[in-house]
Amino acid sequence: MKKCVSWILFVLMLVTLFSTAASAETPSVAIVLANTLGDRSFYDSAKEGIDRLEADFGTVTKVIHCYEDASQYEIGLDQGAQACDIVVAVGWQFWDALDSGVILEDYPDKKFLFVDNGLADRGDNLMSIVYAQNEGSFLVGYIAGKMTKTGKIGAVGGQDSDTINDFIVGYKAGAALANPDCEVLVQYSNDYEDPAKGKECALALHSMDCDIIFQIAGKTGEGVFEAAREAGFYAIGVDGDQKYINPDVIICSMVKDVGRSIYEVVSHPDEYFKGGTIWKADMATGFIDVVYGTEDMPQQVSDELKSEVEELKQKIISGEIVVPTTLE
Amino acid sequence: MNLGTIFSLSTLLNTVNTSTIVILAALGCLMTDQAGIMCIGIDGMIIIGAFAGAMGSWLCGSWVMGLVFALAAGLLSGLFYGVLVIRYHSDEFIIGVAFNLFAQALTTFLLRTLIGQSGSFHPTTGEVVKIPVLQLGRVGDTQVQISIMVLLAWFLVLAMWVFLYKTPQGFWLHASGEHPESLRSVGRSPEKQRYFASLGCGLLCTLAGAYLSMGYLSTFTENMSASKGYVAVACVIFGRSNPLIVFFATLLFGFIEAAGLRMQGFIDPTLTATFPYVGTILMMVFLALRQRTRRGHRAAK
Repeated sequence: MKKCVSWILFVLMLVTLFSTAASAETPSVAIVLANTLGDRSFYDSAKEGIDRLEADFGTVTKVIHCYEDASQYEIGLDQGAQACDIVVAVGWQFWDALDSGVILEDYPDKKFLFVDNGLADRGDNLMSIVYAQNEGSFLVGYIAGKMTKTGKIGAVGGQDSDTINDFIVGYKAGAALANPDCEVLVQYSNDYEDPAKGKECALALHSMDCDIIFQIAGKTGEGVFEAAREAGFYAIGVDGDQKYINPDVIICSMVKDVGRSIYEVVSHPDEYFKGGTIWKADMATGFIDVVYGTEDMPQQVSDELKSEVEELKQKIISGEIVVPTTLE
Repeated sequence: MNLGTIFSLSTLLNTVNTSTIVILAALGCLMTDQAGIMCIGIDGMIIIGAFAGAMGSWLCGSWVMGLVFALAAGLLSGLFYGVLVIRYHSDEFIIGVAFNLFAQALTTFLLRTLIGQSGSFHPTTGEVVKIPVLQLGRVGDTQVQISIMVLLAWFLVLAMWVFLYKTPQGFWLHASGEHPESLRSVGRSPEKQRYFASLGCGLLCTLAGAYLSMGYLSTFTENMSASKGYVAVACVIFGRSNPLIVFFATLLFGFIEAAGLRMQGFIDPTLTATFPYVGTILMMVFLALRQRTRRGHRAAK
């Protein structure tokens, strides 16, 4: 009996040994989300990135949800590190968990990637990616400033934080360039997961005469589109190309390509992964852009305006225009 | 500070449209409170109603079927709560809290396994058909739009008041909470009244959820009730389960929230977010002071 059990254990050990060896050919990747999927912007973009990795390289992927529960952040990272070779912390909320360095010391052989916030010099196995969202927001602000009829445009932000305000300063600067008299009103929903709140915020802005509203609030922004459809004003999407959600009211989207940045780092670790550094994904590298959906969708932004935006984009890339920022 | 933007028609419409969710849920909650088994599981019932409503509306392509799905889910939820609390004498608060957690997890699970989407529901074909909205013309720059569910909720408030205070059935319901023995002495079963209350609670709360996912919005997202059920419970306690007072309490809450949003231009936005909760605390303090003279919490006769 004892012999039998020991044989079974021996075979099991061999099986697990070979199975881990097989999966170690391409590094496996886990994304640990501060909240959960389904926002059709920030978190879903990260998921798209690892889905592409899976399709292109057969990478083993894993998604861990933390549901905005602060007690889960460290546990989530730990789970990710146990299961996979590269752990991507998606969301500024992981700041404290990574800053303490405990996880980084516990798993020295694993690579950690911190998305949407910058932590430098915490060890050779942590790299941060921050995004120049102010540059893309500058361009959509310019579009909104040119297209507004009431002279007032709005933005619904997820919360009064540095990252969200980085969008807003860019948006305001762009609107000011397009139309110096343009007034920009801002509402904070204080929630990224409540579309009903987003709708209320958008309707409140609309009642103050805003006729174009930029959503910067993840899933809450779904309510902004709902309000735009109901009350008849224009909206601007965020993070991904959101125009497909409602092509009649969403005139353009500010793309912050979280998914592609994760894709590039994981697929070319030698080129991109530099431990202890902060990498800024910006317009020049193509991770920030303005998009207008596909050709078959109704286009509200005129071709002249689109070419003006393209010129501005080149000026930002060449450094001729420096967009204000709240970060650094 | 521009008071015009705070006390405007748009604020009023915003208040009316959003508070309808809380009104319907509070009506359900106050029925159970009258029967002496106050249900705080209504937040979970809202989520279940929202899920069932969105699914029904999408599958059948009709908002009526969405409501039917939601109400069917409401009956099941009410029965589930009733059986545990009435038949098996479980503690109603523990069951209520457990139900809220359960509903959140169940809808998340079903969305992921049945539909294969996580976080929120976005149909690839078809759409969630919305409950019709009445266009009442324009006043100034504001388009006046009211969902038929808003009118239904107001009608239900009046109907509930008439039922509770003007019909014998209403008195029986109240007696089953206040003094079950006396109800038994006239040959009526307090358990039946309680089952009636808990089924009614399930129906009204899932109606609130259906309005949220297919009236106010047209999608289902995980945990979309955003604790509105707890606001409803607070309103019921504040209004001592009198439908009319509860109704005004919910409107007041809705107004504080809508006005808070519009004050963000003048006051720090992190502060305005606390307004609804500060409002709750102030109301509770007011209630506590008033109740010093009237001993104990009892549903209003």
